Amino acid sequence: MPAIQIDDLTRAYGDVTAVEELSLTVAEGELFGLLGPNGAGKTTTMEVLTGQITPDSGQVAVLGVDPVAEPTAVRELVGVLPEKESPPSFMTPREYFDFVGAVRELDDETVDERTETWAERLGFAEKLDTMATDLSRGQQQKVMIAGAFFHEPAVVFIDEPLANLDPIVQERVKRFLREYREAGNTVVITTHDVDVAAELCSRVGVVHGGGLVADVRPSELPADETLLDVFLDRVDATVERGVAADD
Amino acid sequence: MTDGRTRRVFVEMLREEWRMHSHLFRGGHFALFPVLIAALTAGAAWLLVTTGTGPGTVFAGLHALAFVFGLHTGSIGFVGRDALRNLLGDLTLLVFTARTLPLSQDRLLGIFVVKDLVYYAILFLLPMALGTAAAVGVASGQGATAVLPAVSTALGLWATLTLTFVLGMGATIAALGITRRGVPGWTLLVALSAAVGVAVAGNLDIAAYTPYGVFLDPTLPRIGASLALVAAVFVVGALTFDASARPAARTVAPAFRRWRDRVGDPVATKTLLDVHRSSGGFGKVLFSAAVLLGVTASLIDLAGQITGVSPSVGVSFGAILGLSGFTTYNWLTQSDDVDSYLVHPLSVEDVFAAKFRAFLLLGPLVGLAFYAVALAWRGGPILEALVGAVLLVGVACYIFGTTVYLTGLSPNEFLFDTGLFAVFGLAMVLPLVPILVVGFALAPVSTGLLAALGAGGLVLALAGVGLYRRSLAKWPARYRER
Repeated sequence: MPAIQIDDLTRAYGDVTAVEELSLTVAEGELFGLLGPNGAGKTTTMEVLTGQITPDSGQVAVLGVDPVAEPTAVRELVGVLPEKESPPSFMTPREYFDFVGAVRELDDETVDERTETWAERLGFAEKLDTMATDLSRGQQQKVMIAGAFFHEPAVVFIDEPLANLDPIVQERVKRFLREYREAGNTVVITTHDVDVAAELCSRVGVVHGGGLVADVRPSELPADETLLDVFLDRVDATVERGVAADD
Repeated sequence: MTDGRTRRVFVEMLREEWRMHSHLFRGGHFALFPVLIAALTAGAAWLLVTTGTGPGTVFAGLHALAFVFGLHTGSIGFVGRDALRNLLGDLTLLVFTARTLPLSQDRLLGIFVVKDLVYYAILFLLPMALGTAAAVGVASGQGATAVLPAVSTALGLWATLTLTFVLGMGATIAALGITRRGVPGWTLLVALSAAVGVAVAGNLDIAAYTPYGVFLDPTLPRIGASLALVAAVFVVGALTFDASARPAARTVAPAFRRWRDRVGDPVATKTLLDVHRSSGGFGKVLFSAAVLLGVTASLIDLAGQITGVSPSVGVSFGAILGLSGFTTYNWLTQSDDVDSYLVHPLSVEDVFAAKFRAFLLLGPLVGLAFYAVALAWRGGPILEALVGAVLLVGVACYIFGTTVYLTGLSPNEFLFDTGLFAVFGLAMVLPLVPILVVGFALAPVSTGLLAALGAGGLVLALAGVGLYRRSLAKWPARYRER
């Protein structure tokens, strides 16, 4: 059973089609990158897969569960790091983890242990009792990353995980993601950063205009071709074709 | 406005304000809002005057409303960044761009105040003045002959309402500036408040030195005094307020688990913590109820003077204190949105249920506490007191259910969409007017009517729960189909 199965997914917002007939399979244990320019449909795809929004057509499944029919069942199985969400302003990071633990029905001892582990791992131990609204964007991002992995889910969706992080913390997060994958878990990263996708992902799907335009394993690319070449070839070419068609 | 950049920023701030409201209330609908305001104020003024309230009282109330409106507008613009972000997502208003634009904070603040003044004076205060002046003229039986005096009254009213609004904005800015100066600032504010209190207690006519005093008696000394007051307030604000100052990072002791053990639901717990830790804390819930308590006491006294009949304490206070459900709903929904919970294994229904639980723990209880104060203060038959308590809980639940059904747990600013507001207004007027007529005009209330009111309170509570349940069928799909 694949971790993620997408068949002919289409989702529009009014007249704008964000995702169009997208089909994709992600196997368990992959660190899969959904790479594309702004507005390519990455976040929409993630929101459908986590049951936050419903598709217009197509079928999706995460670990064999249909997020359209059973959104909360899917969210019990997965972790989600949304792109722009901050921790709740009037809670501290410690309380946010208490909240996540309560929602996920973790016992207080486990919550305490994982809170300490994550604070140590990402370096925000001294901020655990500071109101989230008073944290820097980088500190807020660390808390949200920890929240997505807090219940140690088998599948995690993370949207632009390295945004606002300094290089040291970026390296820590990258190392953690590799280790998490090596432990048999599946991680889906949505990003527009080609370097991040090339460095981290075992497999990358390039999306543009709501559809999949390339599906590559960076480690298997020929020596004279990079992921950036593939990206520019598929995305830029599409843009140029579009311009030509418009002309 | 002596410089092109200032004019340009002013125009862009106006555009920004319009787009913000259009985004919140869907442009076309918002454009009709001034018409609705004129109609509502006209209707309310006509009703008040035809039922015996003096036009002077109506005009005084309108000035009080403009002052409160000014206070509120000042606070949203200057301290409500979090509130705005919760409503509209990440945003930076032009007034906050001193660090990225070659314009000083002082100039941006000045333009912001002028922009607010122009915007609200035209879109809100002008319709209020027109609607009230016209309705008072008609209700006073002056007919078509009242057109010219009404226009004259409306223009005068608009001018003094605008000045009152400016005074309110200035008072907020000055109060914020003073209180950010630590203990000396707070001491000064308390001293000023005490001075006002002493003046009022000593029967000094403070209103004469405000824009309302100008409305009553538009003589040069009064105009001068009122302008001096407004100027003084703004000078204090300009000298003390620093919009670019950021408070120190707040560190707090963990409270979530302790609260969760008592509340029982993580989302309800978080919601109540948000109310506790946001500006004003639980004090703002108490303040809303205290205002309603004071308003009801004044109305009861006024009605007693006009009709010679003492209104029912239980029915009047119960029904009006139930309205505190409106503000309580708002405090419970200001700090988050439903979408933010959908990354957790929670359904939209879970979030709605948690907010209802938080509401039941906070709204009716605070209302009943103030109701107990009212009963201790004004007394009343036990049966009326019991019926009033039922009405309070019924009205509060009905308001919660209606608002949730109409807005889907959005803060109730979203009700100020013209269509929604009309529906909400109608939904409130239909049950409340008969209850208040009985409470104010038919006291002492007969046992039969009390039984009917008690049943009405229960029906309202059930209607509120019914609307809440219907919202569970209506809104989850909308959130996921957005």
